[in-house]
Amino acid sequence: MRHNGWRLREVVTLRRSFGARPVRSGVEFDLFGSSAGAPAFVAPASPGSSPETAIQVASLTETARAVIEGSLSPLWVRGEVSDFKRHRNGHWYFCLRDASAQVRCVVWSRSQRGIPTAPDEGMEVTAYGQLTVYAARGEMHLNVSALDAVGDGLWRKAMEETRLRLDRDGLLAPGRKRTLPTAPTRVGMVTSPDGAALRDVISVIRRRAPHVSLIVSAATVQGANAPAEIVAAIQRICRFGEIDVLIVGRGGGGREDLWAFNDEAVARAISDATVPVISGVGHEIDVTIADLVADHRAATPSAAAEAAVPMRADLLAALRAMGDELCTSLQQCARNGRRDLETAAGALRRAASIDAERRRASIGATAGRLNALSPLATLARGYAVARDATDRRTLASVEDFHAGSLFTLTLRDGDVMARVAEQA
Amino acid sequence: MSYEKRVERLQEIVADLESDGLPLDSALKLFEEGIEILRLASDELTTAEGRVQLLIERAEGVFETRDIDG
Repeated sequence: MRHNGWRLREVVTLRRSFGARPVRSGVEFDLFGSSAGAPAFVAPASPGSSPETAIQVASLTETARAVIEGSLSPLWVRGEVSDFKRHRNGHWYFCLRDASAQVRCVVWSRSQRGIPTAPDEGMEVTAYGQLTVYAARGEMHLNVSALDAVGDGLWRKAMEETRLRLDRDGLLAPGRKRTLPTAPTRVGMVTSPDGAALRDVISVIRRRAPHVSLIVSAATVQGANAPAEIVAAIQRICRFGEIDVLIVGRGGGGREDLWAFNDEAVARAISDATVPVISGVGHEIDVTIADLVADHRAATPSAAAEAAVPMRADLLAALRAMGDELCTSLQQCARNGRRDLETAAGALRRAASIDAERRRASIGATAGRLNALSPLATLARGYAVARDATDRRTLASVEDFHAGSLFTLTLRDGDVMARVAEQA
Repeated sequence: MSYEKRVERLQEIVADLESDGLPLDSALKLFEEGIEILRLASDELTTAEGRVQLLIERAEGVFETRDIDG
């Protein structure tokens, strides 16, 4: 309990007096109540109107809080941020000031979910919150639940911070971009099953490539749960695996509607996907973080579908062209075969004729050698051979000759008969 | 074989056929394979009816796809 019984009652009565009626009319004040054993007479003085009725400090601050909260609903306030502090417990504290005034502000950690990022010192912001009083310090402060820099500054800053973190991890490197498949037959899509984006993608695929199937992994695409659902849907369809390319997207919307596509976890899931990813977020803002990490960026879901699937007619034309190439190359093969055959035949003929020539030459040489060895050649040079006249035995020794015997003498151009005159 | 794998194989076949020194009977075999792949790929484009399905994971790694009316 923040207040004991009588103090609470005091606050209530003080507040009532502050609001509806003049403080001085104290007729209905009942500080002690009948149950608390009040005196028989009612004091004409209101609480705090005399030393005797002095109130507690806590009553004062609590009353001030109740009065301020009761009379001012949450408001947007514009000012410059100063003395920004991020407390260990996660809350943010800062001053919002202009030339002549300042108000302390607090952003509880649970309220920070809807705020893209912390403001910079000196940044001009608009803060939405409830003005209240912090009793422990007796200070007035604005309990901030929404905050943005003038001109989307905080959103830009948050995006830039995320972009830098992804860049530092190398996720934005151009070399990481995978090429899209030339002819996917199964396209995956992470989006809301009820959204316009899905209808657009279906109609583009039916028109361009009616043979292609679309597998939808459902996710809420806006609101607080969107980032976690999109991450889960990307991981789910990657585990499923039977897709060639993945579209992640939603139809157009305001900056806050599209904010899930600037989420760092979504960016990392896209980057980790097992197949090339096409981002297709209907843009009112320039570019999303999802666009930066995707392998291909399209400005709308329809454009993403067009990037994902080539026209079936083009694919069929490409197939026909390949068929023609196949025939041409086979004909070329046949021509090459015939050419090779003819070449081989020619070579064979040439080889055969060379061989015959070589044989002829070789026979001539042998004949020459035979001729050289023939004794006829010796006779040609003027030698003569003596042979027995009857058995034509060569007479090579004086022993073969006897005085008066006949013998034949073979000369270059014929034989003559000769007789031995006497033994030498 | 996926459509893309078929097209890749076709390109290989054409390149092989265009290379020199291929025996004629090998060339004919390749050509026949190429014509068959061409027919299958072409069938896939013209007769397959694309579907639109919602992916549901019944349990970790247990998937079901359900047709959506698109």
